Amino acid sequence: MLTVSSLTPTQLRARLRGPGLDFQTGPFINRLHSNIPHLADGLAVLYGEYPLHESGGFANFHLDLSQPGGLRRWWRPQVRFDQDGQHPFKPLPVAQAQPFCEWMMNWCVSNRAHGYLIVHAAVIEKNGRAIILPAPPGSGKSTLCAALVCRGWRLLSDELALVRHADGMLVPLPRPVSLKNRSIDVIRAFSPDAVFGAIVHGTMKGTVGLMRAPADSIRRAAQVATSHAIVFPQWEADAPAMLEPLSRGQMFMRVADNSFNYTLIGAQGFETLAALAQRSAGYTFRYSKLEQAMEVFDALVGNPP
Amino acid sequence: MHDARHPWRVTEGQMLRRCEWDDEVVLFNDLSGATHLLSPTACWLLDRLAVNPDDVPGLATALEAELAAQAASDHAGNADGADSANIDHALLAELLADLHSLDLVAPC
Repeated sequence: MLTVSSLTPTQLRARLRGPGLDFQTGPFINRLHSNIPHLADGLAVLYGEYPLHESGGFANFHLDLSQPGGLRRWWRPQVRFDQDGQHPFKPLPVAQAQPFCEWMMNWCVSNRAHGYLIVHAAVIEKNGRAIILPAPPGSGKSTLCAALVCRGWRLLSDELALVRHADGMLVPLPRPVSLKNRSIDVIRAFSPDAVFGAIVHGTMKGTVGLMRAPADSIRRAAQVATSHAIVFPQWEADAPAMLEPLSRGQMFMRVADNSFNYTLIGAQGFETLAALAQRSAGYTFRYSKLEQAMEVFDALVGNPP
Repeated sequence: MHDARHPWRVTEGQMLRRCEWDDEVVLFNDLSGATHLLSPTACWLLDRLAVNPDDVPGLATALEAELAAQAASDHAGNADGADSANIDHALLAELLADLHSLDLVAPC
């Protein structure tokens, strides 16, 4: 299977401007059109290892992130998102095209992929045991996820946990880890080898840096994983790393609260989440130091079976 | 305020799915699409009212009998160990009002 990195920069831009760049993230094929040069450069850095598909075949999501023509091209240039001819969001400054692209890819999944129970959560795996980290923004979820991935855990997702209805298995959707504000420097200090796309300032989420997903996680994107635990993280200044059990009932309700489509899919969502809760231990987790957190998570999954 | 002598029933047309773990029950109501985290007592009330609409005194009597039977079962072979339970009618009425606010039960 060819990857996006097999395209030269010129070929990559030609696809984006022409028939579209068809590339696969987890179970989804995205067709992306764009006339923004720096978005092409960012894709080359962050998506080079992803499977490349021939243009014109089936694609789950059709995205267009383009800079409008006319005066807008020169006066406070913007990027506009078009999805199947609809414009569900206001344009943003063109400098924010890369994070905008990530948000729109998330939006497509969370609004369309109802063949899965979708939870706002990171998912990482080690020794065959996956851990789901559901949490609202500001909890330290992505920072913790990035740190674990930098220490060899497999990345299934930073943002969207996909739970298969049929068997409750977790379907990987490894994409760049979105870090905000201070977390960018925290991870750079924690793992100097981490590769980031361009750092973008002044977004609605502050400063955003996208950390490239590990190549091994991308190669193993077809390998589903079994949930071992569901951990609700919360970063707290000076807090010692502390894992505390959470009842299955409480865990169920909190996962449902963090789901994009639990209510939408009705009884099927209940059954899928019930199966997930049955096989997963629940915890809350407070932490301030990543090194301590690494020890706790390594102990949680134990040794290889 | 609902009259304690007025009977309650489960809301008509709902189908309830549930999961039970330890002392918690997660309940899905396909009529409202809502999910609730309930106590075993609340679930016992729903089961009871599904087959037998009743008022607070009647439910209290039935619950006392249920608890006595469970206690006797837990202390099988030791008849003196079974405790009798006195159900607080006000608490039971409050629980029914809570279930009513969740659209799980309704006055007859």
